[in-house]
Amino acid sequence: MKIGPLNIPIKEDFSIKSLLNFEKTPANMLIAVLTLSFLAMFVVGIATYLIHGHHAYNVTREHPWGLLIAVYIFFVVSSTGFCIVGSLGDVFGFKDYMMISKRAIFGSIVTILAGFAVIAFEIGHPVTMLIYNVLSPGLTSAIWWMGTLYGVYLTFMIIEFYFLLNNDMKKAKIFGLSGLLVGLAAHSNLGSVFGFLNARPISNGVFYPTYFILTAFITGIFLSFIVMGFRYKLDFNAQTKKMLEGLAKIQGLLISILIFFVTWKMLTDIYGGMPNRAEVAEHIFHSWTFWAEVILAMAIPLVVILTTMGKKPVLMFWVSLSGMVGVFFMRYNLVHDTQLKPLQMLKTTEYQLAPEWIHYFPSTTEMFISLGGLGLCIAMYYVGTKVFNLDEEHH
Amino acid sequence: MARYGMALDYKSCINCKACEVACKEENGILMGADKHRIWVGNGEIEGQYPLLDITSNAFYPSQCQHCDEAPCEEVCPTHATYYTEDGIVRVDPEKCILCSYCMNACPYDARYVDDRTVTVDKCTFCADTRLARGETTTACQNTCPTKVRIFGDLDDPNSEISEVLRTREHFSLKANLGTKPKLFYLT
Repeated sequence: MKIGPLNIPIKEDFSIKSLLNFEKTPANMLIAVLTLSFLAMFVVGIATYLIHGHHAYNVTREHPWGLLIAVYIFFVVSSTGFCIVGSLGDVFGFKDYMMISKRAIFGSIVTILAGFAVIAFEIGHPVTMLIYNVLSPGLTSAIWWMGTLYGVYLTFMIIEFYFLLNNDMKKAKIFGLSGLLVGLAAHSNLGSVFGFLNARPISNGVFYPTYFILTAFITGIFLSFIVMGFRYKLDFNAQTKKMLEGLAKIQGLLISILIFFVTWKMLTDIYGGMPNRAEVAEHIFHSWTFWAEVILAMAIPLVVILTTMGKKPVLMFWVSLSGMVGVFFMRYNLVHDTQLKPLQMLKTTEYQLAPEWIHYFPSTTEMFISLGGLGLCIAMYYVGTKVFNLDEEHH
Repeated sequence: MARYGMALDYKSCINCKACEVACKEENGILMGADKHRIWVGNGEIEGQYPLLDITSNAFYPSQCQHCDEAPCEEVCPTHATYYTEDGIVRVDPEKCILCSYCMNACPYDARYVDDRTVTVDKCTFCADTRLARGETTTACQNTCPTKVRIFGDLDDPNSEISEVLRTREHFSLKANLGTKPKLFYLT
């Protein structure tokens, strides 16, 4: 280890050139090419947005929130999830999970930065936001609380990571706990952005603020399998196997609770018969994206965990990859389903039919910026693995 | 101060859309089907010929309801949406960050994006145009050939709107949401 600026320990062999030093296996080369392609798409997407503004997106008056909001939520949920998993070891003192703390906390920083990068091109005036968030805060707005708390959360995560790198576990614990609490508050506020909408009965209520915390933990465990899989090239040592087995068992419990939650939400929404909620829930029930979420993020992982008792970490790695695709659909569905029902049910022009369901499909620009966010996330994480020692250090 | 509201004798509406045109003209609203502050909702005729229910084919002129408990104001993260002293719900384009939360939160679909300021825009009861010039009517009211709209001060017991709300039955849209709209449909 050598000491970098601000007393930050960095790897002895790190140099700009070392970023190009990786095992040139077909899988690694594929990931490298994909990441660079995603970054190129990010640049093209941003350029298109800067020229055409929101007209480059398929968002409309009736469906003002599109793919970028879903992707932002996807990243910040990932960040909160990483934060929860990282806290198991360094905040709550579960020794088995100490080995992933530093990596998970770094992951939480990287994912939230990717989320911020994406949302910056969805918010029409991000600079105005920074100014008036402070000068005239809307304290009744869930978005204000969510954004502000995420800013504080990111600060705590960075400070915690600094102390983890310096092996100052006492201070890391203090900032870790603070970051976790603020992160949970921020994340449940993100759920309440939807929960407070009394215009949208399908989202209104307590469900989303609590569901967001549960799904964040689930996402964090999926991501832990993925990052540890890459770290050990799927050849786990005994200590890692033990930790992953523990995580898989927790995941089994969490997914069971999630299935219970979603089942009852669907049942009460559909059979509760509340206007503007029941028919929307029934529409969601018949959409393929809902089943993509159920099968990829819930059914397959739970079946695998129950049949293997969580003892096959390599299989769990692959399941976690498909689980993250399911989590993406979870976020996309949340955003789209909230806006499915038109608020104005009458015809508003002479030769137009009365509106039925609001249709939306992301534009190429929206997809490019979203994939760009993923590319940014992978690239930042890769650079982090080259610069910092993300493994547990024993003293 | 006044507390402005509007009563709509909607059964007199003939769907001529002069109000939509007058609003665009007076307030300089951009062209385009999505860019409108006010609109006329059109109920479809229900039933099968010859048993048609012609009462279903009513016209419902509508716009921002200038709610006393406006969800759009509550969700705005920068207080860009605010109440004026006259009870009008307005947007300050300087503070609007275009997060579109208000568009999602408004139960009446009354908001849209103005492509010139790239911020959210909505009905202002002609506050910047006619009211600013000292006039007492809105453009939509002034142009209406069947006198559907009555605009005025709800706190003035002698105003026409107060009189008509005292003497005629009326309802508000989505009143169950507790938004306390200041648009009243006369029955």
